[in-house]
Amino acid sequence: MLPLSALLLGLLALALAWPVPAVLSRARWARRDPVAALVCWQAIGLAGGLSIIGALLVHGLSPWGGSLPEAWWAWARHWFTGELPDQPVRGDHWVAQTLAAVLALELLGVLALALVRTARTRARHRALLELLVHPVPGVEARVLDSPVPAAFCIPGARPLLVLSSGMVEEFAPDELAAVVAHERAHLAERHHLLLLPFVAWREALPVLPAADRAHDAVRDLVEMRADDVALRELPGPSARRTLATAIVAAAEGGAPTGALAVGGGVLTARVTRLLDPPEPLPRWARPLAVGAAVTLVAAPTLLLLAPALL
Amino acid sequence: MESLGELERSVMDQLWARAVPLSAAELRDALADRGLALTTVHTVLTRLEGKGFVRHDDARPRRFAAVASREDHAAELMHEVLGQAADRQAVLARFIGSATPGETEMLRALLADTP
Repeated sequence: MLPLSALLLGLLALALAWPVPAVLSRARWARRDPVAALVCWQAIGLAGGLSIIGALLVHGLSPWGGSLPEAWWAWARHWFTGELPDQPVRGDHWVAQTLAAVLALELLGVLALALVRTARTRARHRALLELLVHPVPGVEARVLDSPVPAAFCIPGARPLLVLSSGMVEEFAPDELAAVVAHERAHLAERHHLLLLPFVAWREALPVLPAADRAHDAVRDLVEMRADDVALRELPGPSARRTLATAIVAAAEGGAPTGALAVGGGVLTARVTRLLDPPEPLPRWARPLAVGAAVTLVAAPTLLLLAPALL
Repeated sequence: MESLGELERSVMDQLWARAVPLSAAELRDALADRGLALTTVHTVLTRLEGKGFVRHDDARPRRFAAVASREDHAAELMHEVLGQAADRQAVLARFIGSATPGETEMLRALLADTP
């Protein structure tokens, strides 16, 4: 008989693996408050991992004790004392234990690997850029000689904001300021850290459509959030329009070799919400979203720590 | 005292500008206005070799050359920046992805229609 908490964790894991991400990725309110949606996505990622690994662990260790901490302790001790629990340990318990270990190692391992790999690539890019870019008067970023209009930043302790010379030449000064403000928002709010786990887990779980969905949603939401932050810094009543124009101009010039637009829809979404801003969510909405996110993470944590009920 | 980064830039600028392999002594002379010691030039060149931007031949004294031109490096970097590979998203925050021609047309129309 499965302990009830394992069953509940399993159900939660199922919900987080399919219906919840599907609903949230289609939710219209997300673009009205990217911050609230981002908080929800981070909670889904964390709670999803906790609940699936937790379900397997609780079931796998159930012969050793009623609650996870107790069972874990007894299980760890049995390797030294050889003491077996009163209840028989069946094959499915070993399978569940192994799966839990494999999954935990994979998720954490892939994340660590992604951290190392991005750090290495960033270091290489930074080394190269430090030789190639040069300051340009009147532009609050370093400039890289290239005709293709592009802007990007390398996050880190010493962030580097780079514009291509093509962009500096073709864009109006207020559009450049909008681009710089957008990139600076990414850097200031560490958006790369919000995205990194989802990049890693999409790689770790290629069969899970939710991993894809979550990654794409988070990628698009941080762009919208950066637009919102940039608008606060940009002067004048036409800031929204300027930023939208810059987005469209960059999209027109930025596609070499006919690369397909993977995140295509997001450009339209961003431009639309700049030109025709949606009503902001009511004031209670953000606390509600944060509350839901906290509950989502707290639920599997409590289920893991609470004594197995059966 | 200039930072090593600044010196690396100056050395690379020389190597790119001359486009022929140069010995460390020639580089020191080319950068005479900076008053560098030969050991400093060697340190900088070793660092640049470690980063893969410079290589040397077996002549005596050794002569150093840039691995690729400035333009090639810039093009390579832009290619990576604009590429669609998944982990680029995490490596760099770039201002924009690319759009299909149809989409940019539609966006232009959207911009024109909105006052």
